[in-house]
Amino acid sequence: MAPNTPAILFEAQGPVPFPLAWDWQRRLQRRRFDDPSAPDALLLLQHTPCYTLGRGASLSHLGFDPDHPPLPLYRIDRGGEVTHHGPGQLVLYPVLDLQRHGGDLHLYLRALEDVVLAVLQELGLEGQRIEGLTGVWLEGRKLAAIGVGARRWISQHGLALNVNGSLEGFGAIVPCGLAGRAVGRLVDWRPCLTPEQVAPLLLAAFAHRFGLTLRPPGPEEGLGES
Amino acid sequence: MATHEIFMPALSSTMTEGKIVEWLKKPGERVERGESVLVVESDKADMDVEAFQEGFLAAVLMEAGSTAPVGETIGLIVETEAEIAAAKAAAPSPAAAAPAAPAPAPVAPPAPVPAPVAAPVPVAVSPRAGDGRVVATPRARKLAAQLGVDLAALRGSGPNGRIQAEDVEQATGQPVSVARVAEGTAPAMAAPAGNGAAAAPAAPAGQSFGRAGETVAFNTLQQAVVRNMNASLAVPCFHVGYTITTDRLDAFYKQVKAKGVTMTALLAKAVGMTLARHPQLNASASDAGMAYPASVNVAVAVAMDDGGLITPVLASADRTDLYSLSRNWADLVARSRSKQLKPEEYTTGTFTLSNLGMFGVDRFDAILPPGTGAILAVAASRPVVAALKDGSIAVRRQMQVNLTADHRVIYGTHAAAFLKDLADLIENRPERLAL
Repeated sequence: MAPNTPAILFEAQGPVPFPLAWDWQRRLQRRRFDDPSAPDALLLLQHTPCYTLGRGASLSHLGFDPDHPPLPLYRIDRGGEVTHHGPGQLVLYPVLDLQRHGGDLHLYLRALEDVVLAVLQELGLEGQRIEGLTGVWLEGRKLAAIGVGARRWISQHGLALNVNGSLEGFGAIVPCGLAGRAVGRLVDWRPCLTPEQVAPLLLAAFAHRFGLTLRPPGPEEGLGES
Repeated sequence: MATHEIFMPALSSTMTEGKIVEWLKKPGERVERGESVLVVESDKADMDVEAFQEGFLAAVLMEAGSTAPVGETIGLIVETEAEIAAAKAAAPSPAAAAPAAPAPAPVAPPAPVPAPVAAPVPVAVSPRAGDGRVVATPRARKLAAQLGVDLAALRGSGPNGRIQAEDVEQATGQPVSVARVAEGTAPAMAAPAGNGAAAAPAAPAGQSFGRAGETVAFNTLQQAVVRNMNASLAVPCFHVGYTITTDRLDAFYKQVKAKGVTMTALLAKAVGMTLARHPQLNASASDAGMAYPASVNVAVAVAMDDGGLITPVLASADRTDLYSLSRNWADLVARSRSKQLKPEEYTTGTFTLSNLGMFGVDRFDAILPPGTGAILAVAASRPVVAALKDGSIAVRRQMQVNLTADHRVIYGTHAAAFLKDLADLIENRPERLAL
């Protein structure tokens, strides 16, 4: 595709409850169905604490009763197992027409890993991939979780990068269904790092990897109650 | 007849199969064009699969939870409610949820399958569903390209006349082999080194999964091997070799062969009996320490024709009699070929045997499968000029075995004691294998 295609960036200010961000993504997806020429869009935000389960996820990775979860629990339309979101974790939800970006879901997962690896490199850290385990790892700890869903090749969901949030919420689950694999956060390698500092790196890496130029939404492109 | 197939979509060029997460429609339900019918998952990505035609979901051929190769027919859509029953009747019954790709769908339509013939012979072109395009599985297309078969001239045995790989094979007169299993039946009757002639049944011509210039994605079985091989790099292994004289074993094998005993069963029994006396060789390293399994399960590595490797397990090989072991092995191999092994039949080995003797290999070493402590590589038994203890010289049949062991659990002395006992059993008391 042509380099530097414009894409709309929505950046939320405060923590966003999961259902709201999910609704935004579905609206953006629907816009693409209605208007195939609509631009790619990107949501960058942090969530209020919650758990989400992929469509095929197993309940056996929950350390609690799914009917009485300690935090809100959502079963959503992405691939992968259970994960945890909360403040201090940067969440990037690209709503892209994947046909314009290779038309290959595995390639897309690898590209999202590339984005996180590039951010780590900017911070002087060498992240890793583990074959067969989608995500980005640093010294055996999982820093970024990735899970996507697509309909007519329009993507939703995406990646979550732990920056400085509490990891306590991961204690009650087996993240991504991987027993014996620890979760990590950037602040344990780069003290004092905040999501506000990492956000521009993440956006720059994403824009570079996908050949997009990010711009704020125009007056007609808002998401309503945000 | 207006039946439209729903295929397992390719969500990626590296995707060979996908998992059906959920059917969003039930058989008999109406579907609109563009409406999501099911959800497919591959890796951590989900995709909604939509109907390209409006109509009714007539049949679900693969249940939620099952895995199907890319291009496989997984459901049928018909245009009118009246056609549902007919489409259902013509369709194979749904495959139950299985952890691995199920075997190709059974033959459904009334079209008689052409008998195997010696050369490519065009078969009367069968009318295609709808628009006359050729409907074939990806594997059938690839095979047809490789074998030079014209797909348009074939009659498919799949749902609604879809051409399967078997149909292509049949058209070329090739046997309908789902998967050839290279399995050791003897520690090789290979020719003595030096004369250059292979006395053993000729080894198959070198196998390849792609053509020159191609890069071919790993299939599921091959991917499993990649994972296991990479995992083995984290295990500190060492190797110990031993030469075992097999004249008495070979003589004993001749006696029991008529009773259906195979060399694989003899070797597995010998290893099993020796393991029972050397539990350290049956143990493996775990996070909690050294794990001693409750039974001695000897896995035997078997190469699959379509790539990958499987290790069917002879459970309790130390306590199962030789004749049952032989029968169990024949059954396991047959079901490996048709890919009908249950996971517990190939994942529960506590010790692995790998035999390349039938190809005349004189020595090799094996890579340790994850979760076990040791694997024994068995090479060909060959006549050699041996110096005996009393100083005389004689011709003896000997084979080399080579043990790969995890040094966290198994030390050199453990390996040596095990091999010494195994050699003693095979060299001096092979008839005990039948007790």
